[in-house]
Formats: sequence, C-alpha cells, structure tokens
Amino acid sequence: MTPKTKSTILSLGLAALLAGCGHPSNISKDTDRITNAKMESMLDSNTDSPVHTIVMPHDEPAFSPGPGRDEFVTACVVCHSPRYITMQPRFSRTTWLSEVNKMKDVYGAHISDEQVLRITDYLVSINGKAGTGQGPKGTYGE
Amino acid sequence: MWADPLGQAIGIRPPRLCLCKGAVKFSMNREPTNVAGGGAYSISRRRLLQLLGSTGLAALASSCTRVNPAAGILASPTNLARFPEKTEMILLTDRPPQLETPIHYFRQDLTPNEAFFVRWHLEGIPTSVDLRTFRINVSGHVRRPLQLSVDELRSQFEPISIVAVNQCSGNSRSFFEPRVPGGQWKHGAVGNAKWTGVSVKSILDRAQVKPGAVDVSFNGLDAPPLPSVSDFVKALSIDHARDGEVMIACAMNDQPLPMVNGFPLRLVVPGWYGTYWVKALSDVTVLPQPFSNFWTDKAYRIPNAPNGTESPKDLAKDTVPINKFNVRSIFVRPDPDEVLHVGMPTEIEGIAFDSGYGIRRVEVSTDGGATWADARLDPEIGKYSWRRWRASWTPTNRGQYRLMARATNAAGDTQSKEQWNRSGFMWNVIQQVDVKVG
Repeated sequence: MTPKTKSTILSLGLAALLAGCGHPSNISKDTDRITNAKMESMLDSNTDSPVHTIVMPHDEPAFSPGPGRDEFVTACVVCHSPRYITMQPRFSRTTWLSEVNKMKDVYGAHISDEQVLRITDYLVSINGKAGTGQGPKGTYGE
Repeated sequence: MWADPLGQAIGIRPPRLCLCKGAVKFSMNREPTNVAGGGAYSISRRRLLQLLGSTGLAALASSCTRVNPAAGILASPTNLARFPEKTEMILLTDRPPQLETPIHYFRQDLTPNEAFFVRWHLEGIPTSVDLRTFRINVSGHVRRPLQLSVDELRSQFEPISIVAVNQCSGNSRSFFEPRVPGGQWKHGAVGNAKWTGVSVKSILDRAQVKPGAVDVSFNGLDAPPLPSVSDFVKALSIDHARDGEVMIACAMNDQPLPMVNGFPLRLVVPGWYGTYWVKALSDVTVLPQPFSNFWTDKAYRIPNAPNGTESPKDLAKDTVPINKFNVRSIFVRPDPDEVLHVGMPTEIEGIAFDSGYGIRRVEVSTDGGATWADARLDPEIGKYSWRRWRASWTPTNRGQYRLMARATNAAGDTQSKEQWNRSGFMWNVIQQVDVKVG
C-alpha cells in the first residue's frame, strides 16, 4: 500500500480500516482463504446461550496491478469485497462507468469525478470487454 | 506482536469497527474481532482462543484490506465457501455475503437451513444477538407501541406455520442476454422452508393501528458501511401486512434461523420476492403516508409490462416495485453432466412454483420443445410451497438431447420463451438442459 493510498484513506475518515494491520506482510497469504473450514469451528454452538454469535470468515482480497488500483482499493473495498467485480461477466466500459457512477451518485461512495474515471479504468482493465461497444447500463445493486 | 493474538483481535480493533444497535454487534469488517465485548465475549472467548491457537495468525492476517499484487483478483467466482452455520455453498461474494444453494439440495422438499441461499446488501451485517436484550419495536402510526422480546413474541401470540418459497429477485440473473450487472446467480437463489412465527396482523392488532395507516415499513439489524449509504428498509401496504399470512418467523424448518438467514426474526412474505423478506427484523413501523426510500424508489423496480420485460434498446420508462413471483420450474435431475444410456429408464425431476395460485401442470419435452408430455405432480405441500414434478424417460437413441420443462399455474399463467430486463429480475424462461445419451 503506498503512502498516497494511506493518506487518502485517512482523509476519508476510514482510519479504522488500517487499525490492527500494521504488519500484514508477516503473514502467510494462502492459509486464510474463505474456504478454510476451520472457520466453522468458531461458530458458537452453545444453543442454550441467550447470546448467539458467529464469526464471519474473510476472503483475503488481492488486487492485480492496473491503472486506478489505488483508488479502487481505497474507495470501493471499504464497503464490499472485490468479488462484487470479479463475479461479473466482462462488461464494456460503458457498463462499468455506469456502475461506478451508480456507486457514487446513488450509494454514496465518497469519490470524485476524477476517481470515477480512474476506478472505471481499473475495472475495465481487470474485467472489461474489448472494444468500446455499448453494454447495458447497470441498475441498482440487486 | 503476535504473542497475544486475542489481545490483538479484541483489544485494539473492535471499538472502531463495531456499530452497536442495542444488543447487537455488527460485522463492519470480517474477522474474529467482532465477537468481543458485551455479552458475547465470555461465550466466545474460549472458542476464539482455540481457533487462534491453531489458525490465529491467518485469521488476524485477514483483519485488513491488504494489497497483495502477487495473487490474482480474478479468482473463480464459483468457489464453494463455508460460512458459519452453513454448509458448503456457491460463493458469489463474501462481504457482504451472497451464497447460492447447489441445485442438488432441491431434491428435498424443504431446503435445509444450512444450505438455504444468503443475500445481504450492506456490509454491516449482524454477527451477535443477545436475546436477553433484543427487542422488536412496533411503532409509528399506532396507539400502543410495542417492544417485544423473542420469548414474548413466541408466548403471547398465536403461532402459525407456513411452507413457502423464498426466491431472490435476481435468481438466474446470469442467464439474461445481454448480460446485466448484479449478483450473477444461477438457479440456486431460491429455497423452500417451513416458517414458524406470528402473523404481522396479530402484532399490529396488539399495537392498535390508528385510522389512516397506509404502509408498514420493516427494518433489520443490518447497517450501512457509510452514513451516505441508504439503510435497507422495505415496506408493504397496510392491507398486505395485515393479510394474516405475512409473518414474523422465529423458526425455519423448526430450528432457529441461521444468523446469515436472519436470526432471530425474519419477515416472511409468501409469494413475494425475497427483497421483502427483511432479515434480523428489528423495527416494524406503521406509516400514515406512502413509504419512500432508495430501496423502493430506485432499486428493485421492474418494467410495468407483462412479466417485467423490456427491450435493451428501448428501456421502459414506467416501472413499479417488484412484487409477486411469476411461474417457473427448475430441473433437479438429471445432473447436466450425467451420461444417460439407451434403453435405460431415466427419472427426470424438478420443482415448480408461483405466487400462490398453485402449480396445476408441468409439461416436459425431451426433444428440444418439439413435443411435450405431462409430468406427474407430487401432492401439493401448500400453496406457497414449490411442487415437485417427475417424468420417466427411456432414451431410444444415442446422441445429444435437450430437455425442457414448462409449468402452468391455476391462473393459467405459464413460463416465458424469452425475457429481458435491465436489472435481471424475475427470470422464468423455460429451462433447457442438454444431456448426452451414450
């Protein structure tokens, strides 16, 4: 993570995102995939308890290099995992731009118009369709 | 710094990451830390320690959004994943979770709780509920606002049970052409369960709705990740909410709901799409004016046209909130990759459902729709349940065959031959399954 990214996150008031993960590079990268069945053992199976608790597993996100990656990591992943991108088919730039604008204008993502374009660059680079053909404009997050 | 992983997990991070609404803690991130604190702490601490003893470092490594340029972002979206209280399910997204049921579970009339599909909208989903302090609040345009514990709900109102299909609005979205953005479900964002609880009518009667009520809104414990994001709240008309069938379920297939399916209480809206089945229901508000928010005004809308269909080249301007299920059927046998044999009887099987009129006929084709024959229908379980259909088929020649199934309900409605809308909702195109006879 670059210093620039960090400062952007802090400026968005999302310092909590960084808390407690100052030394992540010490850690094995492949052992914490979401399919780790051991997570299941964390389930509180005490059915007599009035307190019911689960512990959500966590899929370690990884981000391919590409234009706009910092903006994507900063502005998008705070609210949802990158699987929201990677589960989609390869969309045209038109569709991805529409999706990013939807996140800004409708869902309230804290991003500038410049960042919208940079994030769109990134989405097109990792999951875009060749050419500039028209694609459907996205609707609302259902 | 890892000498005390529990300290790392519990001591440092949670205060800033947990938004607490009363008794409930939220996962605003997705690591073990959120079990800490409050009533949940003493119960989970030992288990957390056990886990951290073996996989603690890995779990803690997950505690932040870390850039790892070496790993590929385009991991297969069809991974199987295991979430708390759930079996292995098809992973669409992990945060917030969207989990799809593998089709073979639909060979059972009631979908097991552990395999029932999961779909949340907002990152802040509840991960801990203390039933000693949890209350469902009934308020707004009523004379007697109520605050009820789950025990009071169970003991003070007449219990009702209903078997009903719950289906995501976007189930089968990945089959639309041209493709549309959204959860790329195949056919597994649906399930059938026996729901037990109390009718919303009985709750509202106790609360004494004032004259002039128009809508009733339903809010759950999930919370937006940013203040600028709209909370997920849905509403029904007062008449619909009081129809005696819309219910607040505290049990699913006679068991408590899994947390990710809405523990401790979930709204059940028989025959209507899952977007109305608010999970972890905490607030019922009676309104003297029409309800309005993003999730109703902008999201979950369909073209105001038959079967919610429109053309990609001419998008409908007139839209309405999505509402009742249309008619559809889904194959559960044979497996698509199963090789069938000449002269060997093969059982074809599927499920069909609608919004409550009831399935009256299912026809099956084994020749790509050229000819059709009636399938046998299993006895009806309930009008909001799905109904199983079966057909026997003995292939006479080798080769590729296209199986199709077409359901019709008691109102005479049947399935689409083609369909498209911009949001990928209400898919009910006649399914085609290509099989090989060897």
